[in-house]
Amino acid sequence: MKTTMNREVITRMKHRVKRIVGHKVIRTINHIVFGVILSTFMLISMLGLAACSNDTRSTSAEADTKNEASQEDRKNESSQEAEQQSNTEKNVSNNSDKDEIFEGNFTIGISQFAQHGSLDNCREGFLLGLAEQGFVEGENLTIDYQNAGAEMAVASQIAENFVGKSYDMIMAVATPAAMHAYNAAMDKDIPVIYSAVSDPVAAELAQPNGESVGNITGTSDALPVEAQLKMIREIMPDAETIGILYTTSEANSEATVKIYEELAPKYDFELVTSGIATSADIPLATDNILTKVDCLSNLTDNTVVESLPTILDKAFAANIPVFGSEVEQVDLGCLASEGVDYITLGKKTGYLAAQVLRGEKTANELNFETISESFLYVNSATAEKLGVEIPQSMADRALENFSEIGVLK
Amino acid sequence: MTILIGIFEQGLIYAVMALGLYITYVILDLPDLTVDGSFPLGSAVCVALIIAGANPVLSLIISFFAGVIAGIITGIIHVKLRIRDLISGIIVMTGLYTINLIIAGKSNVPIFEATTIFNNDLLKQLPESFKPYRVLLVLIPIVILCKIALNRYLHTKSGLLLRSVGDNQNLITTMAKDPGNMKILGLALANGLVALSGAILAQQQRFFEASQGTGTMVMGLASVIIGIRLFARIKLMSFPLKVILGSIVYKAIVAVAIALGLSANSLKLITAILLLIILLIGEHGKREKAKQYD
Repeated sequence: MKTTMNREVITRMKHRVKRIVGHKVIRTINHIVFGVILSTFMLISMLGLAACSNDTRSTSAEADTKNEASQEDRKNESSQEAEQQSNTEKNVSNNSDKDEIFEGNFTIGISQFAQHGSLDNCREGFLLGLAEQGFVEGENLTIDYQNAGAEMAVASQIAENFVGKSYDMIMAVATPAAMHAYNAAMDKDIPVIYSAVSDPVAAELAQPNGESVGNITGTSDALPVEAQLKMIREIMPDAETIGILYTTSEANSEATVKIYEELAPKYDFELVTSGIATSADIPLATDNILTKVDCLSNLTDNTVVESLPTILDKAFAANIPVFGSEVEQVDLGCLASEGVDYITLGKKTGYLAAQVLRGEKTANELNFETISESFLYVNSATAEKLGVEIPQSMADRALENFSEIGVLK
Repeated sequence: MTILIGIFEQGLIYAVMALGLYITYVILDLPDLTVDGSFPLGSAVCVALIIAGANPVLSLIISFFAGVIAGIITGIIHVKLRIRDLISGIIVMTGLYTINLIIAGKSNVPIFEATTIFNNDLLKQLPESFKPYRVLLVLIPIVILCKIALNRYLHTKSGLLLRSVGDNQNLITTMAKDPGNMKILGLALANGLVALSGAILAQQQRFFEASQGTGTMVMGLASVIIGIRLFARIKLMSFPLKVILGSIVYKAIVAVAIALGLSANSLKLITAILLLIILLIGEHGKREKAKQYD
């Protein structure tokens, strides 16, 4: 009896309070308080996140400069001769403008399609290249860097945002970002410089003869497939089949697989490819392909590269070597790679951008460029683990020999 | 100004898709995942037809019907084969990925040089000052047409039946109609609109990309809920109009998040916070009404 009495009293009280203060007002206040608390909490966490990412960025930049320092000497020795021959014009401007800040104030919007080691290197190389040419971030150059997180709709809005702010130039990293930037800037007078586009001709960003289709130019990261095949043959003289995992929705990978198909017979290899749709397919596809091949070779496929640790784990268990396409992959545990160096590619892109910013040439007049030389990286720890011997000549030629396996650290 | 135009362009294109989601999620109360596949399906069909030299408007219409077929397949799997709604959507979405690649030929197909509804001789004759608005000039009539057509349809006998499927299936049965068929019809119509939206997007951005369907459903659902919640108080507005405005608001949120740009990687988190704030503002409206559409 007592409890029901109490309940009745309480409900009556509640009704009275509601009548006095008003149900709606209470609810609104509730919502506002709740909303404010939640959003401040999220803001704090976001600021923390931003601070964290700044930290990692600065440390990675430090690491890069260290890397640069060690790589630079060797790179300079090997590549300077070729560069001097191939691009005298660049060197002239190099010498005259080095350490000299170009007059003016420029803003460049960088639209990067996804978060990914190679693409990050590309962006950093771009800034290094620009700095060499007298455009230094924070002095005469403002950079607005945006990342689309691999979402097409966001990439398109980023490009439109840059065009809306009338930046002096848009720099796009990876094919989808480049296509969106070109589409957004088409009617405006804003030059677009792209990088890490494997096949600019197939993407209709360049004509088959290499000339630009509009106010756009850049660099291509087409893989030196022939050099890679040659290297695999050298390390594994008895291998018969090469396996390649790739994402069917990535145009870059499709184009490269076609080149592999053309060139593999020349080096007596049989090609086994396995197409996947999402990163969730990778474990099963890897298990399957490892039963059929003597070694795996990676492309610059975004999804596959992101899941490389999974693939390497499985490959180590099956004692099958994985060849990479870039230095970061060898660092993680790939046996070797004969690939594009994205910092160098980014620098080259920076030189192109500097020519346009200085007003020497328009993007329309500049043909897109590729990197002709490939860089060899080997991982001797992986070789030891797999019981593979890397020929001494190759170990000497390699730009860097890693002695640790990144995924096992 | 250009940013504003961009928001309206993107918002209106995705509004057509949001109208489709409004049919399945709100009217039919049926979670349809086919959308992530039928959106790029529209793009693929449209781009393939344009490359083959078809008329851009005709290719939009054919894309619509391609989406209708996808919706019918989901409907048949769900209603006739009695497979759960979520799974039947997943099945068709998964299958469509391959179909899209087959239709388009490869994963990324550009049509930068082709004649589209946004890039043709008629629009090139516009005076220079109208040039920035040319996409909107074409888009607004299309979206208004879709809205009016949907509004009209929902007031026909068949439309009224469709609306009652989500609310009270027994009513349909007592009227000697099959609720299953109405569901198939709704799914067909919804996916047709989604594919149409994909086709319009392909013509605006001038390329097809196999992965562009990812996240479509989330985006559309957010637009629908924003529209209905934010404008819950305004009774004069029809639901389709609210959904269209919701889509524009969603795109504006993303644009603001980009413009704020604290760090490149925090974009999604800022978008999430802005979404929450917008929804809480909308909460002041009639909660009872909004509740049904959660």
